[in-house]
Amino acid sequence: MNKRTLLIITGLFLIGAFIVSGCAQAAQPAIVIGVNAPLTGDIPKVGEGSKFSAEMWLEDINAAGGLDVGGTKYPVEIVIEDNESKAESATKANTKLITQDEVLVIVGPQSSKQAVPAGGVANDNETPMVSPWSTNPNTTLDRPWVFRTPFLDPFQGPVIANFVTDEFGFSKAAVLYDVASDYPKGLAEFFKGAWEDVHGADSVVAYESFTTKDADFSAQLTKIRESGAEFIFTPQYYNEVALIAQQAHELGWDAPIVGSDSWGSAELMNLCGDDCKGQFFSTHYAAAGATGATKEFIDRYNEKHGYVPDDVGALTWDTMLIIQKAIQDCGTITGDIATDRACVRDALAQIKDFDGITGKMTFTEEGDPIKCAVIVQISDAGEFEFYQQVCP
Amino acid sequence: MSLEGFLQNIVNSLQLGSFYALIALGYSMVYGVLLLFNFAHGDIFMVGAYIGLFVATAILALVALTSIVLPGWLILVLTILAAMLLTSFVGITVERIGYRPLRNAPRASAAITGLMIGIILETGNLIILGAENYSFPALIETSTYQIAGVSITNKKIMIVVVALLLMLALHQFVQRTKWGMAMRATAYDFAVVPLMGVPLNQIAALTFALGSGLAASAGILFSLAYPVLSPYMGITFGWKAFVAAILGGRGSILGAAVAGFMLGFIEIFVAAFFPSTLRDLIAYSIILVILVFRPHGLFGEAYTAQLRL
Amino acid sequence: MAVTSDTLPTNRERVGTLAARISEPFVLVPILGWLVGALVAVLLEQFIGLPIARAFGMVRIPALFGILIFFEILSEIFVAFVELLQVPSMILMQLPDFLLFTLENLAKLPGVILYVLLIYILPISLVARLTVSPSNWVAGKLFNFRSWLSVLLHIALMYLILHIWTDVTDYRLLVARLILVSVIITLSLNVINGYMGEFSCSHPGFIALGAYGASVFTVGLFVNDNVLGTALLPETLARFMFPIGLILGGLIASLGAILVAIPSFNTRGDYLAIISLAFMFMVKSLFENLEVFGGPRGLGGQPDLATLPTVFFWTIVGIWIMNNFVRSTLGKALNAVRDGETAADAMTVNTRRTKFTAFLFGAFWAGVAGGLFAHVIRYVNPGTFGLQMLAEVLAMVYFGGLNSVQGSIVGATSIQLLGEALRPLEIYKWLVIPLLLIIVMIRRPTGLISFTKFDFTSLIKPKKEPGGEV
Repeated sequence: MNKRTLLIITGLFLIGAFIVSGCAQAAQPAIVIGVNAPLTGDIPKVGEGSKFSAEMWLEDINAAGGLDVGGTKYPVEIVIEDNESKAESATKANTKLITQDEVLVIVGPQSSKQAVPAGGVANDNETPMVSPWSTNPNTTLDRPWVFRTPFLDPFQGPVIANFVTDEFGFSKAAVLYDVASDYPKGLAEFFKGAWEDVHGADSVVAYESFTTKDADFSAQLTKIRESGAEFIFTPQYYNEVALIAQQAHELGWDAPIVGSDSWGSAELMNLCGDDCKGQFFSTHYAAAGATGATKEFIDRYNEKHGYVPDDVGALTWDTMLIIQKAIQDCGTITGDIATDRACVRDALAQIKDFDGITGKMTFTEEGDPIKCAVIVQISDAGEFEFYQQVCP
Repeated sequence: MSLEGFLQNIVNSLQLGSFYALIALGYSMVYGVLLLFNFAHGDIFMVGAYIGLFVATAILALVALTSIVLPGWLILVLTILAAMLLTSFVGITVERIGYRPLRNAPRASAAITGLMIGIILETGNLIILGAENYSFPALIETSTYQIAGVSITNKKIMIVVVALLLMLALHQFVQRTKWGMAMRATAYDFAVVPLMGVPLNQIAALTFALGSGLAASAGILFSLAYPVLSPYMGITFGWKAFVAAILGGRGSILGAAVAGFMLGFIEIFVAAFFPSTLRDLIAYSIILVILVFRPHGLFGEAYTAQLRL
Repeated sequence: MAVTSDTLPTNRERVGTLAARISEPFVLVPILGWLVGALVAVLLEQFIGLPIARAFGMVRIPALFGILIFFEILSEIFVAFVELLQVPSMILMQLPDFLLFTLENLAKLPGVILYVLLIYILPISLVARLTVSPSNWVAGKLFNFRSWLSVLLHIALMYLILHIWTDVTDYRLLVARLILVSVIITLSLNVINGYMGEFSCSHPGFIALGAYGASVFTVGLFVNDNVLGTALLPETLARFMFPIGLILGGLIASLGAILVAIPSFNTRGDYLAIISLAFMFMVKSLFENLEVFGGPRGLGGQPDLATLPTVFFWTIVGIWIMNNFVRSTLGKALNAVRDGETAADAMTVNTRRTKFTAFLFGAFWAGVAGGLFAHVIRYVNPGTFGLQMLAEVLAMVYFGGLNSVQGSIVGATSIQLLGEALRPLEIYKWLVIPLLLIIVMIRRPTGLISFTKFDFTSLIKPKKEPGGEV
């Protein structure tokens, strides 16, 4: 091959390139929404719930022929990125969504260990981000561009402490939590603080922990049994709850076990069975006996995917609707992504009394919702029945 | 801590230790005979548990269909045997794909293929079965006995007994049969023994099959005690069992078993006596200290990995 | 001459001759020529990349050489195919739609390929080919004048290319910085697992120590933080003090390495594997319990100090120092220890001290890389430094190649790039990457490029034919 051949090949390619460029048309920029979810890694089920809800929302929008903003219908596209349940991957996914896919808004990440660093990226790049699941205060702290739809740990902790005090009149609590996971640990701390405020120092008689992926809790439960605690509070994910409840009963424990919103999964009853019946936990919404829009959502989801949506599914659904409202409140889509992002952020901050399926929401200045929590009891039929509502 | 609590924790650690010991045996055999780290072993344990789940579900469905009355323990025994057999084939396949082509390569390269096969098994499971956790059917009715303030369930007793029986059977196999002798010989000198007519490929396959079978039994017993199955259940458990296997000393069945039980005891009692948040920190510090004083493991002899490098 | 069947070239030979024919015009191109070509390519992309991408039917410049788009298209088709199979009764009805969809998606491919050809392959190869004589002349002059100047110039040129390339999107910038960091990590593990021939699993622990060490230094001193309190020094100083933080992180990691080294280097054997594994668990557990550094919630808000020039500088320095280390007498002693400890001992090598030094040295650089990592992500939490990271760093070392600096660079870059490029495959990515690794390990058990010497100065030598000018 000599220089001439090279030149000829180059020439041919250039000609070809220009012919193609004549025919091809760049795609119309639509409204692009990014979803940053853990589809692989520790908690694939959470990512799946978010993904399914987001896809359901997209179906609705597509069925309506696009998203109606100020009288014009815009096609909507969703880009779903897997964050592998890793902090650095969530950062990369967010950066990709913001700078490569040029999304208008980001939904996710779910767990706080991804949402905290990813929120930093979104805030630095001035892109609105709404986390549907993260409860760590740091996710939105000093970040005007970051919002969330669940309530926070500092709210949920006292709710449970007060509920147990009023309902059972107990004064000695035991806490069992995962020390390596930020959500259980944070909630355990806030619960402990709230409980000791009511019942005085040392009223949490056992404060035991384990590490993510542990399956054996017998040593901790033995300690709890010996401590004279009247109930166990365990802010764990549903798969661990099943093991904890079962092992506690095998060790002869028959007092109540109380939980938090992370219990709220349809899988809980498949895994836990009789051991969880009759227990209480706080959550965002009660699936059993739901009415109106909530019931409609649950039925649709159940029909499509074969199970009642977890709380993350419901919260993602609310997040999608909030985003939709914010985009529509914006009035116009200018096509200049920076302007549109700023507009959506301002519209998000303005949202008042948004009527979601997980309750009414108004964002504080930090971007956290003011909303009510629900206490549910697991019925003998294995359904999560509404017990009472606690509002801030 | 009261005496009851102490006794209770001994019962607890016997159960936890049984799993570590059974899984560690699989590691230890591959390590002893072929001097390889089988990092896919934790995931073979997971596969074993899932195979057990399917076998048990199938048998239960069959029983329901034909209305034959089978007692729970018989179903359990059948499940364990069938799962051990099927998982052995998984182990042989893993050896064939990931280890045999690398038998003369640096040992670490084989460790990497093992690690990668493990990831494939996890991901494959996630793709095929989805993100749900599965619940293992309760094949035997749990009954709890209270003896002097100590809660013991029939499951716990059964798990420890079955684990010990399996270890005994393995010990007999390795010590008393011709194949066992061939395995010991290979472990003694990897380079020369094949020249004496010992078929290395078959020995390697057998080693993997036995280890995987034990992992499957551990998987089913584990699922009985902790009936939540997930694709990633084998990772942490597998690595911890790996620690136990090497801690026991190279090629020592007794060592791996003792080290497995010891790891269970350490984890439970550290959590019981110290703040449980510090469990991993203290438990692994203890292991470090043990290794300072027994650098060849509990029952191991000095050896060099040179001949395999 | 009659062509008989046994004179026909075999497939392998055909591929060989094809490769030779393609590479033949480029044999004489010095590194300088390639760099100039790459510079032209990235400049081209910077100025006319967007209109060309638009013209070829893409919305924006492809981020990673079009690979991302390629897999996006593949996964779109795959998803559609799975959906098609889900309703068997409808296959015939849906088939035309599916085929249309497939065609529509495949039609995007030529545009992507053309873009890559037009922006990257053609300019690079043309410039490289056409400037053979001038670039050889310049490289030769420079090399003969001052070889260190030539090295510096090449590195500066590399930085320039990287800078312009990453200027296009922040995504590229982040990916590039993480790749550079993982090059340091991989190389530092290669010192232990490759050059020393041990199997160490403690690298995530060292990286964690470095990451926390450097983060506590910068966050504690320069940032108003709700975990570590108010800033003690003005933030403008941070940039100048950052190296101190990184070195501090490296030293802390070395300190941790002593803990592993003392019990494990008493004997040869595989005890390092579990001692280092236990160490990794311990470090993770330690940071989970250290409430002052945020516990499991992690430590965030690191100042944005790990910019591209900083990371690039540290990577170059790291490669330079580690390469010198393994080529020094100590490095040779290290190889001797790996190949035969008793023999090395007999040849007056102080084996214990050699292993100790190398282990601490590797840990130091892992710590430095950890500090950089923390400042690239600007957040650390203990959960990051677990078994998943261990699998990743081991994969990078053994994929790239043992005992080889080039191998480590190739391994880290390709695994990181693959991880990004295969994103569209979602969960299937974790089938493809392990499979690829297994195939590489079986074909080349010591990795892609192993047991080589790395000599940058001889690499940048001009490649003149003995006969003179071309």
